Amino acid sequence: MTLSFSNIDFAYPGQATPILRNFSLTAETGDIIALQGASGSGKTTLFRLLLGFEKPTNGTITLDGKELVNEELFQFRNRTAWLPQDLDLGEGSLEEVFFYLFDFKNNKHKKPSKEKAYEIFEFLGLKDTQWNTGFRSLSTGQRQRIGIALCYFLDKEVLLLDEPTSALDEASKEKVKELLFDKNKIILSASHDPWWTTRCNKIVKINSPVV
Amino acid sequence: MNTIIDISWLQLALGLLILVIPIYILRRFKTKLIGSTVIAVVRMIVQLIFVGYYLEYLFKYDNPWVNLGWILIMVLVADFSTIDRSELKRDKGLLVSIFIATFLGVFIIDLFFLQFVIQLPNIMEAQYLIPITGMILGNCLRGNVIGINDFYYNLYRHQERYRFFMASGATKSEGLFPFFRSALIKSINPTLAAMATIGLVSLPGMMTGQMLSGSSPLIAIKYQIMIMIAIFAGTLLSVYLGIKFSLNVGFDRQNNFRTTILKKEKE
Repeated sequence: MTLSFSNIDFAYPGQATPILRNFSLTAETGDIIALQGASGSGKTTLFRLLLGFEKPTNGTITLDGKELVNEELFQFRNRTAWLPQDLDLGEGSLEEVFFYLFDFKNNKHKKPSKEKAYEIFEFLGLKDTQWNTGFRSLSTGQRQRIGIALCYFLDKEVLLLDEPTSALDEASKEKVKELLFDKNKIILSASHDPWWTTRCNKIVKINSPVV
Repeated sequence: MNTIIDISWLQLALGLLILVIPIYILRRFKTKLIGSTVIAVVRMIVQLIFVGYYLEYLFKYDNPWVNLGWILIMVLVADFSTIDRSELKRDKGLLVSIFIATFLGVFIIDLFFLQFVIQLPNIMEAQYLIPITGMILGNCLRGNVIGINDFYYNLYRHQERYRFFMASGATKSEGLFPFFRSALIKSINPTLAAMATIGLVSLPGMMTGQMLSGSSPLIAIKYQIMIMIAIFAGTLLSVYLGIKFSLNVGFDRQNNFRTTILKKEKE
């Protein structure tokens, strides 16, 4: 699988200065990429462009040579797992919102048992988290761990991780790496954390790619 | 049963004198609502006088086409009102979607009750069709405003959640399911509350009107039960259809939410 950003320009509506200018990147299966750049340099924007939530002003994004639009985009979204910076799964208990993602037709076959899910929660340091706890009442760190567990169980070919270790201690970071690093995937991560970036196998600096 | 005593225009004007009390209270607390109250009262009087004369004509001639035309006008007014009060822009596609949804909501319920329940020889008979449609439509409008506003503004506030679902393999329907559910619950709650307390804390307008015009309370309650069921079913149906039909306008080809349909993009 080859994912390519080719000469991407992008500016948010109403902004005169583009956030991305002539950005290119190629990622292949097995790549674990750390996107580096200052806050506001466009790391999260790259994920949004890739997922089709925003449209590049210029340039194309392709998967195996096919542009990610319409049907190709829908299929791509089904092959990704995304960990946003602040995961919002909505109202309801942890059990309701966690398993809702496995009610989707495309994810049904990946639904873990409650025991297996909790095993991973415990592994990620969520021992005191109860299934009936309201998702909204969880801390940022707890929500981040839930998101990581979701990425693990969804087991998609492309992982998009936005600051995956921002609220974690070093022991937990090691566990995240153990759970998610997989040579059969493309992993794109945006991170300010040197611990994380040194463990990725490629580093891309936004605005001046040095792959 | 006695027939109803007519009220003369002079007596009606006398009735307006009671407004002195609410106006005094509004003034005393400096609510700045006196102007709005006067406008609302004048509008109510003018609109009802207009409708009264128009309905006299409708009932007298009782022409099915004229009756249908009147219903279409009512649906059209409800359509604009739904869009405006839901804080959406008057987009052509939205107007058409909500119009069809509202019309179908009212039409299906009307057909069921007038044809199969009351078994009218002619379901287009003005005496039944107009007031029952008006009752259902008024409530559909309220439900639509609450439901459609909640659906689109809730989605706007929680776009990242919808996007997360879409990025996790959801179809559009799956991604929108929690928003749809919330909108349906919010739109139907007032009707549920009204059904649960009816007769205990309030005597509804239709039943009161029937009894005032000489109907037996037992006939009046049967009509009231029927109309409450019709309102409940009609409201839920038109909110469901309104959201469903408007989805084509509210989302682009990549299933992204078009926030440009909202009047207040920055809430």
